Amino acid sequence: MTTPVIRTRGLVKDYGRTRALAGLDLEVEPGEVFGFIGPNGAGKSTTIRVLMDLLRPTAGEATVFGVAPAAGGPSLRARIGYLPGDLATPARVTGREQLEHLAALRGGRGRERIDALAERFALDLTRPIRALSRGNRQKVGVVQAFMHEPELLVLDEPTSGLDPLLQHEFLQLVRETAARGATVFMSSHVLREVESVADRVAVIREGRIVDVDSVRGLRERAGQRVALTFAEVPELAPFAALESVRDARVQDTTLHCLLHGEPDALLKLAARHRVVHWTARDLDLEDLFLDVYRGGPNGVNAVREVDHAR
Amino acid sequence: MRAETLPTLRRALRDHRRGLWIWAAALAAITVFYMSFWPTMGAAMLDALEGMPEGLMAAMGYDRIGSAAGYLEAVVYGLLGPVLLLVYGIGLGARLVAGQEEDGSLELDLAAPIARGRLYLERLAALWLLVVGLVAAVTLAVLVSNPLFDLGVLVPNVLITGLGLALLVGGFATLAFALGAATGRRTVALGVVAGLAVVGYVFRGVANAADVEVFAALSPFSWFLVPDPLANGFDLISTLKLAAITAVAAPLGVWRFRRRDLMT
Repeated sequence: MTTPVIRTRGLVKDYGRTRALAGLDLEVEPGEVFGFIGPNGAGKSTTIRVLMDLLRPTAGEATVFGVAPAAGGPSLRARIGYLPGDLATPARVTGREQLEHLAALRGGRGRERIDALAERFALDLTRPIRALSRGNRQKVGVVQAFMHEPELLVLDEPTSGLDPLLQHEFLQLVRETAARGATVFMSSHVLREVESVADRVAVIREGRIVDVDSVRGLRERAGQRVALTFAEVPELAPFAALESVRDARVQDTTLHCLLHGEPDALLKLAARHRVVHWTARDLDLEDLFLDVYRGGPNGVNAVREVDHAR
Repeated sequence: MRAETLPTLRRALRDHRRGLWIWAAALAAITVFYMSFWPTMGAAMLDALEGMPEGLMAAMGYDRIGSAAGYLEAVVYGLLGPVLLLVYGIGLGARLVAGQEEDGSLELDLAAPIARGRLYLERLAALWLLVVGLVAAVTLAVLVSNPLFDLGVLVPNVLITGLGLALLVGGFATLAFALGAATGRRTVALGVVAGLAVVGYVFRGVANAADVEVFAALSPFSWFLVPDPLANGFDLISTLKLAAITAVAAPLGVWRFRRRDLMT
């Protein structure tokens, strides 16, 4: 069995009397692109800062490449590229000076890639960082995280501040990085930002992992909101009885419901009537968070099932 | 030297290079300016101060102002030098870890493959180099003034007094640096250490005026000046006392800095 690149067991982090992480269990396998999704304040940055040895755990354990971050020290961090969620750099220096400095801290590793990466993201290295927009500062962060081609990338909200074109370019960089065998751990508060690159996704809520699944699995279990409008008022009971259907209700001639899994049974039942209009919309992640929070079918109980299945 | 050696130290020096030149030029100019009064005012000074209460004279160190060494000590080493240098040293010390931590720019450095203890030491070394640079500027200004304005102080004694000044200012700067690294709060480091410096300065004044041993024993300013290094040269005990500020503060700061959470 391979050692997980990132592993936490019962990780707890308190800030004074506030509990930021309440027993976090996480495993990221080598070569994975792993999405770490949760609303703001759920504990994403805290987890990441523990992994980077910027914070020390209150209880539980965390390892990166099999070593605790504090024990691994500089040699462990040499293998990691880190993009902070709220990137702050000394204001007076230029982008190049800052990147050269960070390369020097790595014994010069990555210096030769600064120009290529800056060009790729259209980053002007000669301007003082103070004069850069939020998006351009974020590019400085992206360049320093990727330039030394680390084995593990820990990226906290990496796409925030980047415009859609650069987000696309960034996700392409993530794919290339994964293709050369590196592991990528990236957080976001929006599933959309990671779903096109992530192999698996963990959902964090109030300091705990409430769900771990592939993006597709998550989507399927999150379900779709379906509205079917019939020529006549439909009978509710047969639809409500379907295993894949929840929250079914009829309003005028329209059936509203939440669909989980395959739509086959629902469509075949609907096809017995005359359907005049239909919509099916993937639940967005905020809905999923609410569902998870309520302990619904995708919630804590479902996580236990996932755990047992593994 | 390749760019890879001591990157943290080099970076800290580069960040504060321009400030250093301005401070050094200003301090040297002020020193020479005040020394230039000595030939014309030296004798007149005593007469002018004749009517002042003895206690106040002693508190300000003016009782010996009639000699060149006394004038130099009272104006440069007892007042302008320490006060201006402490403003610089304490401010910089508090900024080098705590200030950068508060503005968030320390995070990427600490996420890089450098141990916290190493970062601490390199930045502390940079702090000392900058402080020593400014003390050197003052010392140089005094050495230039010496023949120019006929001060008649011994060159080795000026250097020894410079050493004392560096240890005094470096000590308080290290205290601010260590407290900032231990707490992550610049204002705490700045406020506490500036307060300590003021208390120490007042203690020396009180000790001089009222001849209270306790106050002299507690004031680093007294450790620095009571042995009268300009007249008597090197004094081991007082030098060790001044060095002790750094020797105690620096390890405590790094001990805490290595164990605590980085602020967000």
